[in-house]
Amino acid sequence: MLRWFKQLDRILRGDATRLEQLQQGQIEFSVGGVVLVTVVLAMIYGVCMGAFAMIRTSGEAYMQLIASTVKFPLLFFLTLVVTFPSLYVFNALIGSRLSAGSALRLMTAAIGVMMAVAASLGPIVVFFSVSTTSYHFMSLLNVVACTVAGLLGLAFLLRTLHRLVLIQTYEEEKPYIPTNNTLPPESAPAPVEEQMDSTPQEKPLPASALDFMGPQPIPRVSRVFKTWVLVFALVGAQMSWILRPFIGNPAQPFTWFRERESNFFMAVFKALQSLLN
Amino acid sequence: MAAFLLKIDGILRGRESLDDSGSTLRRILMLWLLMCLFGITYGAVMGSYGPQTGPRGWQMVFSGVKVPLLLLATFFLSLPSFFVLNTIAGLRDDFGAVMRALAATQAGLTIVLASFAPLTWLWYASWGDYRAATLFNALMFGLASLSAQRLLSRYYHPLIQRRPRHRFLMWTWLIIYSFVGIQMGWILRPFIGDPNSPTQFFRSGAWGNAYVQLFNTFWSLVGG
Repeated sequence: MLRWFKQLDRILRGDATRLEQLQQGQIEFSVGGVVLVTVVLAMIYGVCMGAFAMIRTSGEAYMQLIASTVKFPLLFFLTLVVTFPSLYVFNALIGSRLSAGSALRLMTAAIGVMMAVAASLGPIVVFFSVSTTSYHFMSLLNVVACTVAGLLGLAFLLRTLHRLVLIQTYEEEKPYIPTNNTLPPESAPAPVEEQMDSTPQEKPLPASALDFMGPQPIPRVSRVFKTWVLVFALVGAQMSWILRPFIGNPAQPFTWFRERESNFFMAVFKALQSLLN
Repeated sequence: MAAFLLKIDGILRGRESLDDSGSTLRRILMLWLLMCLFGITYGAVMGSYGPQTGPRGWQMVFSGVKVPLLLLATFFLSLPSFFVLNTIAGLRDDFGAVMRALAATQAGLTIVLASFAPLTWLWYASWGDYRAATLFNALMFGLASLSAQRLLSRYYHPLIQRRPRHRFLMWTWLIIYSFVGIQMGWILRPFIGDPNSPTQFFRSGAWGNAYVQLFNTFWSLVGG
């Protein structure tokens, strides 16, 4: 278990996504282990989310806790299932050499980053769950926590995609390499890192997982990647609405799923409105 | 005693060095010890409002415990997310130094508070109004927080020079910490203790959300 956490830690630190590491065209990590750790982290956040219902509702309060614990990992799995086919097809259409396997690996790593951030926000969510009576405040706090986690995960995804493309173009035709040689030649990676850092006073450091390196990819490619990310975010948001309740309104009885009505963004707007009134 | 005073002086001047190789954990524990000491001092003075007869005397003890509790609990709730954010930003290697900076700032905050304790005592001795006492204490906490923020910038300065990204993370910490801290302060009430209410550690029915309360107060002020 600890070994797998270390694998995820390598991804978080950016060790797994250095240019030298990506030479094979994919991120190297043990998929099974990281998936398992990711599910565990997602369940931890699910528990934190369900804590509000556990404290505020009478009766079958623990059911909501169990439901949230199960549904939160499910949310990300289903979002991946729904978005992956179209993402992959567009990826192939624009001529990226990213194979289905390495695209899936990449998505696993990105979701791993999201869950690590979400689980680390868990203690704050539990603290507010325990001390707050307002249901709307809790739903908004959870939306904010998940948004932060999601954005960081997707930023990781974009940056890593960019690096993968950079390596491919370097290997294939070398058209995007500027004169000062931004991409490290395999033999001497160390001195080039210096030039990659955007700010001059920064000492040569290994780049983090979120650093942007090298030249901009062709606008067409980067536009497709950005659409990828947007689609993933929108599907994730709506999926969370379909799978609701996660927090459990104390005024309503427990159900596994609620009636089909409204959508995620309307609901957030309404929660904000009723909090302000 | 002289060494002790020098140590405190060092903390306030930002001399608590972040990079020397001594045991980080020992240094942090030392700083927390100082924080508890000064926090209890100010808390006890804060709780000395009103007549000190009967169960009322307990308020000093309660408030004394609550000030370090407030700071430490907020710290530990905010720490996991800050750790993960530092890792993603590629700043994990500096985390020991960051922890020292945070602990030194917390110690600094309580030292500033403790230096205000005589003022609070004078205020209590001069004016008896409960609401005025609350406001005065809020003002003291506000001033101490501002000083602590300056102190944190001072401790972060070498880190930021080495890696400018630390500046962003410092502000992230301040946002997370104050977001949790305000709510923590709210649920740990009463710190001063209304003399007309019974003395207790937690005020019954005091739970609730500081931000929701704030919105409500704001709307009732605006809407009339």
